Amino acid sequence: MSNRTFRMTWLVARREMLQRGRTRIFAITTLILMIAVALGVALPAILSGGGATQRVGITGGDTATMTGIVTEAGRLAGVKAVAVPEPSVAAAEAALRSGDVSAVLVNGTEVLVKQVPLAGVTGGLATLAQVAGLSKLVQTVPGAAAAVANGVALPVRGLEPPSKPLSSRLTGLFTVVLVWVLISVYGSQIALGIGEEKSSRVIEVLLAAVRPVQLMVGKVLGIGLLALAQVAAMVAAFVVAGFASGSSLVHGQAIGIVLAGGVFAVLGYAFYCTAFAAAGSLVSRQSDVNSTIMPVQLPLIIAYALSYTVIYANSANTFYHVLGFLPPTAPVAMPVLYASGDVPLWQVVVAAVLLAAATVWMARVAAGIYTRSILRTGARVRLKDVLRREPAPDSP
Amino acid sequence: MASGELEIDGLRRRYGTVVALDGLSFDVPAGQVFGFLGPNGAGKTTAMRAIFGVTSLDAGEIRWRGKPVGEQARRSFGYMPEERGLYPAMKLRDQVEYFATLHDMDDQAARTAAAHWIGRLGLSGREDARIDTLSHGNQQRAQLAVALVHNPELLVLDEPFSGLDPGGVDDMSQVLAERAAAGVTVLFSSHQLDLVEDICEAVAIIHRGRLVVAGRVADLRRGDQPQLAVRVGGDRDGAWTAGLSAATGTVESVRADGTALISLTSAADSQRVLDLARAAGPIEHFAFEDRSLSEVFRQATGASVGQAEAEHAAATQAAGNERVRV
Repeated sequence: MSNRTFRMTWLVARREMLQRGRTRIFAITTLILMIAVALGVALPAILSGGGATQRVGITGGDTATMTGIVTEAGRLAGVKAVAVPEPSVAAAEAALRSGDVSAVLVNGTEVLVKQVPLAGVTGGLATLAQVAGLSKLVQTVPGAAAAVANGVALPVRGLEPPSKPLSSRLTGLFTVVLVWVLISVYGSQIALGIGEEKSSRVIEVLLAAVRPVQLMVGKVLGIGLLALAQVAAMVAAFVVAGFASGSSLVHGQAIGIVLAGGVFAVLGYAFYCTAFAAAGSLVSRQSDVNSTIMPVQLPLIIAYALSYTVIYANSANTFYHVLGFLPPTAPVAMPVLYASGDVPLWQVVVAAVLLAAATVWMARVAAGIYTRSILRTGARVRLKDVLRREPAPDSP
Repeated sequence: MASGELEIDGLRRRYGTVVALDGLSFDVPAGQVFGFLGPNGAGKTTAMRAIFGVTSLDAGEIRWRGKPVGEQARRSFGYMPEERGLYPAMKLRDQVEYFATLHDMDDQAARTAAAHWIGRLGLSGREDARIDTLSHGNQQRAQLAVALVHNPELLVLDEPFSGLDPGGVDDMSQVLAERAAAGVTVLFSSHQLDLVEDICEAVAIIHRGRLVVAGRVADLRRGDQPQLAVRVGGDRDGAWTAGLSAATGTVESVRADGTALISLTSAADSQRVLDLARAAGPIEHFAFEDRSLSEVFRQATGASVGQAEAEHAAATQAAGNERVRV
């Protein structure tokens, strides 16, 4: 490619970014999306308090052992528990009333709470009571107290690999919604933008100076970079809000799921952007764009609709596995499968490679359609016949 | 006509059953304002689009300075399409600068040139207005600014005068004359033949995708044969001309007021016509007259511009697609 090709493509891309990125609507939607993501991540953690640190008062007994019991109970219950030494039972009771601590372990023999829940003792509190009771039981054995401090749980072994926890699946859902929104919203913008160029006839003035392929690539690149910026903002909101609220959504595997989602978002956009461009080039009025992009969106809609059956099921069916590898559906289906633990990483990589290869193929086909139909001249646009559109002759 | 800077050579283009260009050829000389005239549907727009490669040709070639027009030559052309072509939501200044950069100007040069043309075309103060908020006339100026901003060597304008008020027509023709004086070759189309006869030095008139006649406006209006306009009192049909011998001249047409337009075989024959008219009755009008360009069209094709356009409209409807406009 010559320097001129790069420059023309870049000029087109730059116009797209400046014209769209400077609009108030872009700033507002980015902000709304970031807030929505942040709330989606942080709200469950804040409301349940599950992710927040539990402060447990301890009084009497060996501080190291008591701390060990609290920490262990927290670990077993899946919450972060911190032992807060209290000088006396009276002080501990005061701290309990003020809400500074949520429970007090007295002398290793009793668990005090402000009020026993009506439903009985459950969750972290029950675990604390059990661990403390166990600890009291083994007090008679020399050295057992130290063992409790180091953790009393036996190793757990399962016959089947663990099903992915719901939090991972929800992260997967978040990722897939992101991919779906990204591709369909920005894809529509590409098609509408091209429809606008055709209907306003600005395309004729453009093509007097720029080649069709430069115009198409510049447009999808410019809109793609904007989309990427918006996704980056959303992911940043996800991570920041997640860590800030201590949400389980951002721990461990969830990050991997979001990363995989990011890769498929970029590849998916790359695959679909040129298809949307070709669809946009088929119309001569902007209002017709919706009808031509529908077939382009269909595979994504199917994969997206079916993703809910995978998110809330123990294992995905074979059909959805196939969708995970087919390039048109992979951008949505594969992150879902990965998030729900239905496919190993190497299969994710294979699907990504297939998608990348298909992207090259799609770009060529789409560029051909675009070039032939953007002015509706030259050889008859065969896709239009396929779509049973009138082979309209080009008008002046 | 001497071989021009821009040569249109044997263009053919067919859309389904509609023949838009049927072997159209003419040359546009350098540094002139050249009118490309014909009724609606004659093929003007198709030919202009072909110059920019935005319509394909079944046959024929367009040459610029002796070489087939390619991408590089086109970048030195400025184009103003008939249906206009601007981004409706883009600001005027951004738009003009954008097209300047697409024609190989750097950002700084684009800014300078855009500011110059926006000022020159009387759009100062509207730089930050969106195109779709401008009046029709101002949109036309904006379109012209886009066509001119990169200082093109050839300016191609499709119906630049349509929809302009008389003041707008004057402004537009002044700018075109200025560019031509600066050495730019200006080719513009119009279906209003008589409106533009004072604006251009030379014209090509086409009909049904073929050249009807081309040449300097003054020569065409005078014609090979001088034209006499004669009206005899009380004779509203020009019946007196029945006595005119074919060797003397031929009646081209009779106007509604009874004025007969007679092409003379030789200027010396005018006295014979005068005698004949005087014998028929009192002479109300007797003068040599230049033909209007629409009369030139009618004499060459046998149909008036209006008839030709009606015929095209009917053919278009018959073709079953009202959007076919060639």
